[in-house]
Amino acid sequence: MSASVLRVSDLAVGLHLPGREPRMLLDNVSLDLGKGEVLGLVGESGSGKSLFCRALVRLLPSENIRITEGRIMLGDRDLAKATEAEMLGVRGGRVGMIFQNPTSHLDPVMTIGDQLIEGIRYHQKLDGGAARREALAIARQVGFTEPERQLDSYAHEFSGGMRQRAMIGVALSCNPEILVADEPTTALDVTIQAQILQLLLDIRSERGLSIILITHDLGIVAQTCDRIAVMREGRIVEQGKKRDLLRSPAHSYTKALIGSHPSMPISAGEMTATPPSKAAATDKPLLEVEEVNVRFAGAGNLFGGRSGAVHAVADVSLKIMPGETVGIVGESGSGKSTLARAVLGLTPIASGNVTFDGTSLRHDRVAFLTRLRREAAMVFQDPYNALNPRLAIGQMLAEVLKVQARTPPDQIPTRVCELLDLVDLGHEFAGRRPRSMSGGQCQRAGIARALAVEPRLIIADESTAALDVTIQAQILDLFRVLKRKMNLTLLFIAHDLAIVRNLCDRVVVMRGGHIVEQGGSAQVFEHPADPYTQALIRAIPDIDPDKPLLPQAAREIA
Amino acid sequence: MSVRALAVGRMGWRWRLGRQPALVIGATILTVFVVAALLAPYISPYDPIAQDIEFRLQNPSWAHPFGTDNFGRDVFSRVIWGARIDLQIALLGVIFPFVIGTLVGTVAGFFGGIVDALLMRLIDVILAFPFLVLVLSIIAILGPGLGSFYIAMALVGWVSYARLIRAHVLVLKNSDYAIAAVSLGFSRSRIMFRHLLPNAIAGSVVFSMSDAVLVLLNGAAISYLGLGVQPPIAEWGIMVAEGQPFITTAWWITLFPGLSIVMLAFGFSLFGDALGDALGVKE
Amino acid sequence: MHRYKFVLYRPIQLLPVLFGISVVTFVLVRLIPGDPARVLLGARATPTAIANIRRQYGLDEPMWLQYFYFVKNLLSGEMGKSILYKIDVLKLIITRIEPTLVLVLASVTLSVLIAVPMAALAARNHGRFADHAVRIISTAGIGFPPFWLGLMLIILFSVTLGMFPVSGYGETLGEKIAHLVLPSVTIALSLSTVLTRSLRAAMVEGLRSDVATAARARGMPERVVFWRHVVPNSMVPTINLLAINIGWLIGGTVVIESVFAIPGIGQLLVRAIFSRDYMVVQGVAMMLACATVLINLIADIVTVAADPRVKL
Repeated sequence: MSASVLRVSDLAVGLHLPGREPRMLLDNVSLDLGKGEVLGLVGESGSGKSLFCRALVRLLPSENIRITEGRIMLGDRDLAKATEAEMLGVRGGRVGMIFQNPTSHLDPVMTIGDQLIEGIRYHQKLDGGAARREALAIARQVGFTEPERQLDSYAHEFSGGMRQRAMIGVALSCNPEILVADEPTTALDVTIQAQILQLLLDIRSERGLSIILITHDLGIVAQTCDRIAVMREGRIVEQGKKRDLLRSPAHSYTKALIGSHPSMPISAGEMTATPPSKAAATDKPLLEVEEVNVRFAGAGNLFGGRSGAVHAVADVSLKIMPGETVGIVGESGSGKSTLARAVLGLTPIASGNVTFDGTSLRHDRVAFLTRLRREAAMVFQDPYNALNPRLAIGQMLAEVLKVQARTPPDQIPTRVCELLDLVDLGHEFAGRRPRSMSGGQCQRAGIARALAVEPRLIIADESTAALDVTIQAQILDLFRVLKRKMNLTLLFIAHDLAIVRNLCDRVVVMRGGHIVEQGGSAQVFEHPADPYTQALIRAIPDIDPDKPLLPQAAREIA
Repeated sequence: MSVRALAVGRMGWRWRLGRQPALVIGATILTVFVVAALLAPYISPYDPIAQDIEFRLQNPSWAHPFGTDNFGRDVFSRVIWGARIDLQIALLGVIFPFVIGTLVGTVAGFFGGIVDALLMRLIDVILAFPFLVLVLSIIAILGPGLGSFYIAMALVGWVSYARLIRAHVLVLKNSDYAIAAVSLGFSRSRIMFRHLLPNAIAGSVVFSMSDAVLVLLNGAAISYLGLGVQPPIAEWGIMVAEGQPFITTAWWITLFPGLSIVMLAFGFSLFGDALGDALGVKE
Repeated sequence: MHRYKFVLYRPIQLLPVLFGISVVTFVLVRLIPGDPARVLLGARATPTAIANIRRQYGLDEPMWLQYFYFVKNLLSGEMGKSILYKIDVLKLIITRIEPTLVLVLASVTLSVLIAVPMAALAARNHGRFADHAVRIISTAGIGFPPFWLGLMLIILFSVTLGMFPVSGYGETLGEKIAHLVLPSVTIALSLSTVLTRSLRAAMVEGLRSDVATAARARGMPERVVFWRHVVPNSMVPTINLLAINIGWLIGGTVVIESVFAIPGIGQLLVRAIFSRDYMVVQGVAMMLACATVLINLIADIVTVAADPRVKL
C-alpha cells in the first residue's frame, strides 16, 4: 500500500437542534485511504456509514447536522475547513460518489450523454466534440455495448444494472481520484451485483482510483476490498487488513456480524434439530402443485388490477411434505412470489391445480380456499407495509382471532399474550403501533399474526430481505424454533441463496417463471446441475476471501 | 430523516404547538367565525335587514364600525349575520360531496371491473365541464337559490373525492396488509371499511379543507351573480354585489364582506395545512 | 417520434367523453319542467315556430330518437336560436369568443410569469424569510374571491389612479387591451396563488431529491442544480396543475366578465341563465366543455415533450 490520499482523523458530526444538547452522530472517526486501495466500510442501517461519506464532501442532510471536530485531509487540504467554493472543485472533481439507487439519482429528463458531458464540462473543461468523445470513452469503459446510441437514451430506458453502470460513468465524467460507493449493488440481483463489483475493480486498476465501498454485506467486502472498517453507532469499532479482520475479529460486534452472515455454515446442533427425512415416510404431500400457469393479461392480481400480458409462472409442479422446509430461490422477475400467491389462492391460476392436504383447488375451490384460510398463512417482505398502520399489534392479533373464531372471545386477550410470547415480543407490544417499532419487531408481529391462525403451512415471501444481517439472523432463528415447536411446514421464498441453504431441506430454483432445478439443499448447492444454478451460486459473495467470485460465470448468463 | 423524526418525537406538546403557528392561527380564525355566527343575534349591534334611509351610505364610525349601505343597513351587523350563511355554504357544500364521493370511490376502487370503468367515464365527463359552468347550468334549471346550489354541489363536487379515495384504495388494496387480510379469511366489507378506508381517508379529510375554500368562493360568487342567496338576506357575496354600484363613493360596503371571505378562507387553508402535516398527507 | 402517435388516436379515445358531454347537456335541458318546445323558444313563441322546432328536434318522438335529432343538428352546426338575441347560438358564441379567449390566454401567461419566480424564490430560500413570505401570501391569496379582488383593483387603479377603464370592452385594439388588463391581472393573481403553492412544494421536493444530491456530489453549483436539474423536473407537475385548473380558470372568467361587464362567453352564459335562454346555456356549456377537453389534449402533448418517461 502506498501513501494515503485521504486521511480522516477524529471526525465528529453532531445534530444541533436549537435549545437542546447536541447529539453525536459520528464520533472520533479516523480512517486512512491509500492510493489505489479499496476500503470496505461495513455497518448496519443507522450505523452512520452513509452520513460519513456525506460528511467527507460536506453534503450533510440538514443544516442542523454539522462537523464539530476533526480533520479530513485530502492531500494537504483540510476539507473540514475548506470554503464552499473550494468544495465545488472537490466534489466530483476529486471525490466522486455512487449511490444505491441509480433510478432516483440519475436525472430522468436528461439524456445519459448530457449528464456525462455536464461533468466533463465542469471538471475537465472540455467542450463540444471533445466532450462528446470523452463521454463515449467513459461509456465504453463502464461497459455500454452501443455507446453512440445509448448516450442519447434516458435512464428509464435502461435495466437496473445498466443504470448503475451509467451512474458510475457519470461519477467518472468528473475524473475523480477517490470514488465513494454507497451500497452500489444492494438493489441489484446477485448476478448483476457480481458484474458491477467487477466493473468497480476494473476501473480501479485502469484509472488508479481509490475506492471507499460502503455496504452491509461482509461477503461483498471479503470479495472486493483490501481493508475493512466496521462501523457501529457512529464509531469505528474495528479496522484492519481484510484477511486479518475476518480471520480473527477483535470486537464482539464484528464477531456477531461475521457469525450472522448467511454464508456462514450454521452450528451442527441446530441443523440436526430439524428432521428432514421424517416426513418422507408418510409420502402424502401437504401441498401439491401440478403444472400451474399464471398469466397476467388484463385482469391479473388479487383484485383484478391490470398489468401487461406476462407469463409469470409456467408449468410449475412441486410437492411439499408435512414438516418439510422448502426454499424457492430466484432473481427478481423469476415468478417466485407470484407462485406463492397463486398457491394461497391470492392470484388466479390460468391452468393447473393446487391440492392442499387432499382438498383440490380445481375440484372444490370454495372448500380449498376455506381450508387454506384456516390452515395456511403468509409472512411478507416489508414488515411495515405488511401491518395496518392504524392498528396496535394487540388489536391486529385480536381481530384475526375473532375472524378465525377458534378462540372463545373471553380467551382472546390470553391468546394474544401467548402469541407475543411465541415470537419473543414483550406483552407491552400489544399496545404499540407499527410506526413506533423497529423493522425486526414488526416482522415478529407479522409472524405472530401468521401463527394466530394456528397454521400447518407458512409461506414466507422474502421475509428477511428488508432486515439488517444481525436481525435477519434472529428472525431465521425464530423460524427454526417455531418450526420445531409447532411442527410447521415452511415454504421460504428468497433471492438470497445463502439463507435458503442454511434453513431449508430442499431447494427449488426458478428463472423466468420456470423451475430450472430442484433437490435437496446439500445436493443443489454442492453439485448444481443446471448452468443457471451454477452461475447463481458462484455469484454469491462468500465471506471467505479464498472463495472468489467468478464474474465470468455471471457474464455468461446475463 | 430518522434523526429528525427522533428529534421531533421527543418534544413536548407545548413545543409542538409553538412550532405550529398554522394550526393555532387557523383554529383561532375558524373559532371566531363559528362563535360570531352562533351568537349573531346577541352580538350584532343592529338588525341586519332593517332599512334606515336617513342613515344610508354612512362612513365607518363608532356607531357603525363598517359604515352603512345604500339602504342604511349596518354593514358590521350584516357581516356577522353573513357568517351564518357563508359557514353553512362551506359546510353543506363540502359534506354532501365528501360522503357521496368517499362511498363511490371506495367501492369503485375496491371492486374495480365494469362498475369502476363506467364510474370513471362518468367522472371524466363531469370533469370535462368547467366546474362553475356545470354548477351554473344546474342552477339555471333548478332556479336560483341556495337549495339549488347545494344540489348542484352534490351532483358535481363528489367527483374530486371519488377520484382521490379511489386512487388511495387502489394502492392500499395491493399493500401487503390488505393481502394478508385476504389470506386470513377476512370478509370483503371488513377489509374495505376497517382496513382500507381508514387509511385512505386522511387525504380526503385534508382535501376537504381546501375544498371548503373553493366552495366558499364559488358559493359567494354565485350569490354575487344573483343566482344564490336572494336579497334582503345578508350574505357576503351578495353584499359585495350590492356595494358594487357605489365603489367610487362608498368603498366600505364591498371591502368588509370581501375581507371576511378572505379571512374565513385563510382560516380553512391554514387549518387544512396543519391537518395535512399532522396526518402526514402530502398534496 | 412514436411517442407522439397518441395525438392521432387520442381524439378517438375522447369520443366517449364527447358523447358524455352531449348526453349531459341534452339531459340538462330536458329536465326542465314543461313543454320542451316552450322551454326552448320562450313564452312568446308563435305556433309556427313551435311546430318547426317540434319537427326539427323530433320532440314528439321517443327520448332516444330526440337525442339522435339533437346530435344530428349539432353535427350540422345547428345549435338553435337565442330567444334574447334572436340569432343562431353558434353565431352568437363566435361573436363573443374573442374577449374570453384573450382573457384566458393572458391570465395563464401572466400567472405562470408570477408563479415561477415566486416559487423559485421561496424554494431556493427554503425555511427562510422569503419562503415564509411567499407561503403566507399564496395561502392567503387562494381565499381572495376573484369578483371582489377585481373590484378592489378597480378602486385602486381605475378610480384612485385613473389608469384603466372601469368596465366594458373597446372597439380599437388599444381600447380592448386597456379594458382587459385589470380582468387578466385579477384572474392571474388568483390562479398564480394555487400555482405558486404547488410549484414551490414541487421545487422544495426537487431540491431535496436524489437527483439534486447527486448533482451536488458532482460539484455542481446550487444555481446549476436548481435551473438545470430541479426546474426541468418540476415542469410536468406544473403542466398537470395548469390542466387541472383550467376548468377553474374558465369558471373564474365567467364571473370576472360579469364584474367588468366584458361581452364574452361568460357574461353571455350568466345573462342567458337569467333570461331562461336555454338554447344559449346549452350551447355555451357544451362549447366550454369541448374547449376544456381540447386544452387537456394540448397539456398531454406538452407533458410528453417535457418528460421522456411519459408514454400515452
